[in-house]
Amino acid sequence: MSIAASVWAWFADGSHWQGADGIPTRLTEHLQLSAESLAIGAAIALPLGIALGHYGRFGTLAINISNIGRAVPSFGILVIAFQAFGLGDLPIVIALTALAIPPMVTNSYVALREVDPDIKDAARGMGYRDLAQLIRVELPLAVPLIMAGIRTSAVQVVATATLAALIAGGGFGRYIIDGFATLDYPRVISGALLVALLALATEIVLSACERLLVPKGIRLEMAPKLGRATTFKVA
Amino acid sequence: MIRKTRTFSLLTVAALVAFVAVACGSSPTPSGGSSSKGTITVAGFDFAESSILAQMYGQALEHNGYTVNYKLRLGKREVVAPAIKSGQIDLYPGYAATDLEYYNSGAGEASGDVAATAQKLNARLNPLGLEALTPSGAVDQNAFAVTKATQQKYNLTKLSDLASIGDQLVLGGPPECASRPFCQPGLEKTYGIHFKSFKSLDTDGALTRAALANNTIQVGLVFSSDSDLNKLGLVVLQDDKHLENADNVVPIIRQKAATADVKAILDKVDSNLTTAQLITLNGQVELNHQDPDAVARAFLQQHNYFS
Repeated sequence: MSIAASVWAWFADGSHWQGADGIPTRLTEHLQLSAESLAIGAAIALPLGIALGHYGRFGTLAINISNIGRAVPSFGILVIAFQAFGLGDLPIVIALTALAIPPMVTNSYVALREVDPDIKDAARGMGYRDLAQLIRVELPLAVPLIMAGIRTSAVQVVATATLAALIAGGGFGRYIIDGFATLDYPRVISGALLVALLALATEIVLSACERLLVPKGIRLEMAPKLGRATTFKVA
Repeated sequence: MIRKTRTFSLLTVAALVAFVAVACGSSPTPSGGSSSKGTITVAGFDFAESSILAQMYGQALEHNGYTVNYKLRLGKREVVAPAIKSGQIDLYPGYAATDLEYYNSGAGEASGDVAATAQKLNARLNPLGLEALTPSGAVDQNAFAVTKATQQKYNLTKLSDLASIGDQLVLGGPPECASRPFCQPGLEKTYGIHFKSFKSLDTDGALTRAALANNTIQVGLVFSSDSDLNKLGLVVLQDDKHLENADNVVPIIRQKAATADVKAILDKVDSNLTTAQLITLNGQVELNHQDPDAVARAFLQQHNYFS
């Protein structure tokens, strides 16, 4: 049987769609690990990046410090966190959070810095206080770039959550590790495919969210600027 | 400034070259030097004991003038066996019963009789151009451990005690345990133990120990030659229905490499090996964190191999 056919057979097997090792269970585990890490990362990174961008201070410092998270390999953090906290979800959440923070800090900092100074002046001239100016003028303008940061982080986190299986965690990585241990290659390839599909789906869903969040008036005007301020990190 | 940059980049290049040289040159150079009797590639499984045994065989061969390449921690039997069949490696320290049941695809031929098991193993190996040498006296079987707390809670001493309560317990071991005849399927067939679930961890390593410690699993696969179980408060349950067979350490070698000289060297190493010795050697690696090659060298020295 060719590889494609055996992978197809693996997906077609009903027993792979139920139970503790079934695709729905592994998908839930994978999404839960990713969502937890992304939420914690966002809670740290977004206020930091937005505040620094708004006041325009210590930006380089913060970006450089958070970039250390990009330089340190997730697998290294995972192993150290496993030594420190033992078995469970905590080590993988720590490693993924460290991975999630840098793109969100960098993007939200850049997003706030990029807001046109003339618009800020106009807002001040119309009598906006500092906080009102941030919330009602600067943030709506910054949404596209901030969302791009969240999207970058989310895709990286979903792809890297595969590592959880290395320390006996759940998620789609289980299929890759267990399949390799028993030389069950259709299982390995199916696991890898599932991770890739989930990362793609994450990107698509978040792009849709982004479109909904951007104020209508800015959508057309900002269209050419919708790029990412940071690039992907290869885990 | 330009000059400074150049010095820096030269240093970087030098450091890189040194790093690569060290990384590539890590295999030990043969003591025999130019007059090598031939090259033998020794592999080991992905646990400490296998590295120690592979180093013993390798160092003994090196001392006798062979060039030895080491492929330690190569992987599981599912990786090592295809490698020796295809000639990528020449020798690995096997375990008579488990290897027999691997090469006969779980036909159930292994027994508690070492000589019979080794004979049947050779019957399977010879058509593949492979050979099992004389088994040593050292035995390392799969064993199943529980914590002292679990043992007291259910009053356990032997594996058959698990039959009635298995559905409340989680078994942990390497991923392949779920399909190996001497692991989960064997426990089901021989003892009628049906566990609540199985958790994929590692081969008798840090994950298994951590999972036992925090009660993620209640029964864990370990090896009977482990040295640290007592210290960790783990108790091995007695294999009262003899699921595990004669897993004596035995060198498995390609027939092309198995000259009379090589066989004599390996047999001499094995003749000094006992189960008690194996537990002591494992302890030096697992408890005292010595390197397997140093432990193997000390063992050979102790038995006057180099004098």
